[in-house]
Amino acid sequence: MNQAVVIDKSPHTRAPIGASNWLGGIGRSAARSRATLVAIVVFAFLFLVTDWISPGPITYFDVSFLASGGTTLALAAIGQTLVILSGGFDLSAGAVISLVNAVLAANMSMTDMDASVVEWTAIGIAVGMLVGAFNGIFIAFLRLQPIVVTLSTMFIVQGGTLLILEQPGGFVAPTLGAVYMGDAVPNLLPAPILLLGIVLLLWAWLKRTRYGLALYASGSDPASAAAIGISVPWVRFATYVIAGGLYGLAGVFISAQTGSGDPLVGNSLLLSIFAAVVIGGTRLGGGKGGPVGSVFGAFTLMIVVNILLALNVSAYFSTVAEGGVLLLAVLFASLSRDSVLAEQIRQGLAALRARSVGLLVTQRPKVDRRLAFAARRGVETGTATPVPSFLKRNVETIRYAAPAYVALVLVLIATQFVLGNVLTNFSYWNALLVLSTFLAILALGQGAVILTGGLDLSLPWTIALSGILLAGMVRGSDPALVYALPLVFAVAAGIGLMNGIGVVMLGLSPIVVTLAMNGILQGAALLYSNGTPSGFASPALRWFMTGYLGGVTPVVVFLAAFVIGATVLLGRTSFGRRVYAIGNSLEAARLSGVRTGRVVIAVYVLSALCAALVGILLTGFSGQASLGMGDDYLLPSIAVVVVGGALITGGRGHYLGMFGGALLLTALQTLLAGTTLPYAFRAILFGCVVLAAVIALRERRTS
Amino acid sequence: MTTIVKSLALAAGLTCAFAANVQAAEKHKVFLSMSYIGNDWQAEAANMVKALAASKDYADKIDLQVQVAGPNAQRQIQQINAMVQAGADAIVVYPISPTALNQVVKNACSKGVKVVAYDAEITEPCAYNVTIDQEEAGRKTAEWLADKLGGKGDVVLVTGVPGTSVDIARTKAAKEVFAKHPDIRIVGEAVGMWSQAVARTELSKLLATRKWDDIDGLWMQVGCYTANAMQLEAGKTDDQLLPCAGEGSNGGRIQALPKGTEVEGANSPYAPLGAPRISYASPPYSGALALKLAVDMIEGKDVPHHTTLPLPLVTNETVQLCETGSWEEMKSGCNTFKPSIVANPGWFGSIFSDQLPQLGLNAALVGQPET
Repeated sequence: MNQAVVIDKSPHTRAPIGASNWLGGIGRSAARSRATLVAIVVFAFLFLVTDWISPGPITYFDVSFLASGGTTLALAAIGQTLVILSGGFDLSAGAVISLVNAVLAANMSMTDMDASVVEWTAIGIAVGMLVGAFNGIFIAFLRLQPIVVTLSTMFIVQGGTLLILEQPGGFVAPTLGAVYMGDAVPNLLPAPILLLGIVLLLWAWLKRTRYGLALYASGSDPASAAAIGISVPWVRFATYVIAGGLYGLAGVFISAQTGSGDPLVGNSLLLSIFAAVVIGGTRLGGGKGGPVGSVFGAFTLMIVVNILLALNVSAYFSTVAEGGVLLLAVLFASLSRDSVLAEQIRQGLAALRARSVGLLVTQRPKVDRRLAFAARRGVETGTATPVPSFLKRNVETIRYAAPAYVALVLVLIATQFVLGNVLTNFSYWNALLVLSTFLAILALGQGAVILTGGLDLSLPWTIALSGILLAGMVRGSDPALVYALPLVFAVAAGIGLMNGIGVVMLGLSPIVVTLAMNGILQGAALLYSNGTPSGFASPALRWFMTGYLGGVTPVVVFLAAFVIGATVLLGRTSFGRRVYAIGNSLEAARLSGVRTGRVVIAVYVLSALCAALVGILLTGFSGQASLGMGDDYLLPSIAVVVVGGALITGGRGHYLGMFGGALLLTALQTLLAGTTLPYAFRAILFGCVVLAAVIALRERRTS
Repeated sequence: MTTIVKSLALAAGLTCAFAANVQAAEKHKVFLSMSYIGNDWQAEAANMVKALAASKDYADKIDLQVQVAGPNAQRQIQQINAMVQAGADAIVVYPISPTALNQVVKNACSKGVKVVAYDAEITEPCAYNVTIDQEEAGRKTAEWLADKLGGKGDVVLVTGVPGTSVDIARTKAAKEVFAKHPDIRIVGEAVGMWSQAVARTELSKLLATRKWDDIDGLWMQVGCYTANAMQLEAGKTDDQLLPCAGEGSNGGRIQALPKGTEVEGANSPYAPLGAPRISYASPPYSGALALKLAVDMIEGKDVPHHTTLPLPLVTNETVQLCETGSWEEMKSGCNTFKPSIVANPGWFGSIFSDQLPQLGLNAALVGQPET
């Protein structure tokens, strides 16, 4: 918030912008954004390390290669940074890069070897901006949550890309490569660096305009921004359009770099884009940071590849090493006198000192120190105020949870029409519930994390590692479950604990901590299994997931119990209330006496335990564990939580809504799987239905 | 202060690295750039490459470094560049994209580096490719299924990763075959992502609205083992199992053995069931063969730009259990391994190449060469 106030002053106090002010502005903003500077220092350090450990000095040629290698990621990261500064989140970035690549490769003609670079670049940027505008309309004007809109867009765009370019191929004119991969000034300035320089200069200009100020202001505090006359929806809309244009430019660049098309080329960049933004010092949630840091974050990620190669890090350790670099880079950036880590250490020391002199709160005698009237009033109000009706008390919850169920009913009706004979068919319901179990369980963990305003990206490999550990220990024997299950849960609890400690004690962004953890767990799973997981589920576990108990699969009974337990845990226990309290305001919760650190850590432990449970059940379901078995559950786990009515920034959401989201997504996938539609259309339909389901979740205009 | 310590440590490490480099100076520098290692096939292929590099015939010739690019083509581009800069003689690569690497591979070729891709293809003409004929794989398996069904029936397809050339080539070829039989109807098509676990969930979704009795045959790129297990769970007997054309997982081949065959470590559904099967595979030894070809080229031998591997096809008639899994034994025709040795049914069984006598079962399992 500070940030916005500081920036806010500049247009009013400053004279018209001249060249000298311009440079002064850069200096000031550098002083302000320490994190950006640190990102640059980290990159410079790694660059020197690379120079040291690689044989021979670094030549212009190496620099040119490095520049072209990181530019796609850097351009996309700049776009994502703008979105994040506005308080948003864009999951469609990678898909847009693929789309632009496909559009160019499918439409450029082999006969036109001298295709105009300007023209095709404009086409690429325009395609990206169109997708950005689509996002922007739903997010800015219909006030839908960015994460779910952009997730839907991602599916729609991925499907559309496959319609344009079915498989790798196509043609990109060599002129594009000659311009973008060439030299701006031979032996001095590679073209990619010039391109990034131009983009950053444009940003420096944009930042000084009304739009730039409005962007930071609406990211920091939308209500205040609106109060001082900023049109927040238009700022957001413009941000998504500009970001889309930047993804488009990244798509043009990758086309130039590869000289052809691949409909999947950008999709896997998504997590790297977020990592680049966070390493670059931009804080998720908006208002702080900037694109310059993200550019260096992107190059940091790419140069790690060279370092791993030069040090000959074993393949199994590469994800571990990357996770480590990610953590260290961010930790290094956060080290300062007023960082969370320093604060924690100071508090810990103070607590120790207090303990030694006997002044710590817990050391005081435990007597009831409440004031007498407080207790009296509690008794009075309990009898005097009538309890409002159920509907009145829960109207908010129902409003947010209902759309998932309404959409579910519609999907079920559609299933009945398309595939026939399902609603009265008991085995359909049984299969639907069994398949929903995984997402329903993940929804509790991911949901609790999201309720506190975090995000758990370590789910995929927590699932896989748990499954692999279990199968390896059980090896088909039922008695072994007795010790294997507690052990697997203990490992998961340890994973969650470390995630929580990283978030709370080190004060790092949940995205970084859990993303790094995901990489470390992948390495652990590979080392443990030596690349080929062995062992298989025991008969009891298999029966639990695939057998029958009086017509229903046993796990359905378990699911019913789980749903009740989860609803009670989040809705009726003190733990649940603290989770909501933290999500609404960490500071207010802390001042109300909630031990916020412990609750947040507990939430990550809960999430890891849920993931482990899914890993175990998946192993029972498939009969064995496999590497990568959790890969398909990350984005859906976030989607069900949001479709179920939770707010991604925390504090709002009900488990029953999330459960409805899990049922909806599973029913929808089941419907699509029953058809013979090509995959591209299924992806588009999936995105459209999810989007339609959340239109009912619109935020009310806050004023 | 810390920076000084760091740089000292670095300098120490540096000296060691240089010392090692001097020792290995006689050997050829070969790099392996893998994509994602998080699945069974990739791990098995990597084991076989490592085993070949460690074998007596190759240990003195080459110095192999294995690196992983992850699922991201950008990183593989960067990685291959870095390998060229690091003085590679040859680069063996599992290409994440057949087209995205073209420019960087062209650049590597221009510096005299041999680039050999395995399993998937690189379309750049200067690259060397080691693959099976994907179109043939799709066609042969579909023909077998059509034949089994007598040209009549409802089939379900489980495909691979959408948007990849391999998936399109296989699926298109299979569909062309089915189109020739007017009485064969494709009643369902699921996206299996080449994973037993995904095949399981996708088939479950398909069967939520359908019964096994409505289906006459299965054509799957991966997942026959799982499909058979699911039919048993649904109460089918071994004799009722549907004909399935699919990948060469060891579990699927064990199931194809005649019912009642004595197999050590067998445990239903990973047991002989007499299931009607044809199994094909993109063999995981292709990486090791790519390495062999790379070394051949460094030594000045001529190698064709495209090596098409013989398609390993195993049916109920040709399935045969190995005792030890040595190369000699596989040479005489065995192609399936005991569950007591290969505990993972999803493990790929097509590991025999007559050109690689260094590699037996242990190479694929733990990366240990025969000699």
